[in-house]
Amino acid sequence: MTEAFALPPMPLARVVRAYVSDAAYESLRLLRTPAFAFPILAMPLIFYSLFGIVLPGLAAHQPAFANNLFVGWTVYGVMGPGLFGFGILVAVERNMGLLTYKRALPMPTGSYLASKLLMALVFAVVVMAMLVTLGLTLGHVTLPLVTLVRVAGVMSLGVLPACAVGLFIGAYAPASSAAAFANITYLSMAFLSGLFFPLSGVLHDIRFIWPTYHLAQLARASGGLAYEGAPLTHLAALAAMTVVLVGLAARRIARRG
Amino acid sequence: MTSERTGAALASLKGVRKRYGTTTALDGMDLEVHPGELLAVLGPNGAGKTTAIGLMLGLQAPDAGEVTLFGRSPHDLAARRGVGVMMQEVALPDALRVRDLINQARAYYPAPLSLAETVETAGIGKILDRPYVKLSGGQKRQAQFALAVCGRPQLLFLDEPTTGLDVTARETMWRTVQRLVKGGVSIVLTTHYIEEAEALADRVVVMAKGRRIAEGTVSDIRSLVSRKRIACATAVELAAIEAWPEVTAAVREGSQTTVTTADAEVVVRRLLAADPHLSDLEVRRAGLTEAFAELTQEPPVPEIIQEDAA
Repeated sequence: MTEAFALPPMPLARVVRAYVSDAAYESLRLLRTPAFAFPILAMPLIFYSLFGIVLPGLAAHQPAFANNLFVGWTVYGVMGPGLFGFGILVAVERNMGLLTYKRALPMPTGSYLASKLLMALVFAVVVMAMLVTLGLTLGHVTLPLVTLVRVAGVMSLGVLPACAVGLFIGAYAPASSAAAFANITYLSMAFLSGLFFPLSGVLHDIRFIWPTYHLAQLARASGGLAYEGAPLTHLAALAAMTVVLVGLAARRIARRG
Repeated sequence: MTSERTGAALASLKGVRKRYGTTTALDGMDLEVHPGELLAVLGPNGAGKTTAIGLMLGLQAPDAGEVTLFGRSPHDLAARRGVGVMMQEVALPDALRVRDLINQARAYYPAPLSLAETVETAGIGKILDRPYVKLSGGQKRQAQFALAVCGRPQLLFLDEPTTGLDVTARETMWRTVQRLVKGGVSIVLTTHYIEEAEALADRVVVMAKGRRIAEGTVSDIRSLVSRKRIACATAVELAAIEAWPEVTAAVREGSQTTVTTADAEVVVRRLLAADPHLSDLEVRRAGLTEAFAELTQEPPVPEIIQEDAA
């Protein structure tokens, strides 16, 4: 066991390079997969144009309405890459043996998750950039560009809980139904957390269970819009959700592969 | 034959047990991979070959016993950086091109081959710029082989590498494997193509039911069984041949009858006596296929386990 074998050392620069290359190839493969890239990149843009700009008509000219819908659809757009990138891919890759293969290779510890996280961040930033452009040109958004950049920065935080929810789905759902679970979760998070219209009754009482609710409040606070609760509480809620979901997922993957 | 080199094993299993639920995959398995050798691991499906490799790669932890890789734990990333691997069941990302997959895998190793060297070693120039999803089954295996060698590994695990390859591609891979061994790479090969082990292996380990039941050179394994095969064209009823006490098995395919026996002379004499028109007679020592089939029959032959005690 203590026998010494001469193994070439791996310089830190090469380890960093492995992380970067994994993230780049993860992004590249998803960009080349229309089933992923289209709903992630195009759907928020289409929905925002349709439900945030075209259908509301004159109502969209009111600043409060326009700004709130902009925040709502951006939250929606930011959550997608993490949720689907982890939710569907982890489930599929567990099933097809890629996860096992990657563990057999000397892939740096953490690069499997880090590459997907970076991929989700890259896609989220692209989605936000498109929505900001649309909001400022056609969406009657009245927030100044500097504020929008700050809001976008805060919203990038949403990638973490989105990835955690996705990872949880990916760790538990069978590959065949992971996409369905991810879609149901995505739609629930979008429409049951009050992103687009006021909630009432039980839905209103339990709105805090959705990470999208907390992310939207943080985004509104950073943009100087009306918001509920205390920002720190929302931040703590998002952090707690992320930690619990990642913990449960990691336990499942460690036990079952 | 293994004890004097124990200390230098690149990878080893010592008394390893591994269960999945109620199934025992490995039941006190011992295995050592020595520097510079090509070790073929043979055994029927479910013998535990893939589990043995998975343990040496750190994919699972043993329930009991010890697993080492380069004298370390296989969970040690530094140990796995000396290893290349081609697994049996793996689907790689469809949308990436072979070139991308190789570059991604190369980044995991401290001193990998260049892309050009990898292409040359694995002979995959034609498929380099094709998306993985567009490759045929055999081309996918070639791409996976390229990923296994691209890190300049000292130890290469090939789990059924030539399954699905056509004859030309298989021979190309064999030549590459032989060249790698000449260059000092150690290789662990599992295969169900017996001729692959016969063509390539320095040493063969036969597994059954999670244990090593025999070990040696190809001819050692073959000589462990004394059976011979008699092939001929004869009009004698198959059932009659099967009824002879010396006959272990008899099959008829088209006009050819094949008889397996430990006592070829007696059976040939009987055949000729029973059928004076018998033709195309051929007698040969059992190949590894037959040796293998006999070794893995129940119950395992106890006397060939004795070298475990050494």
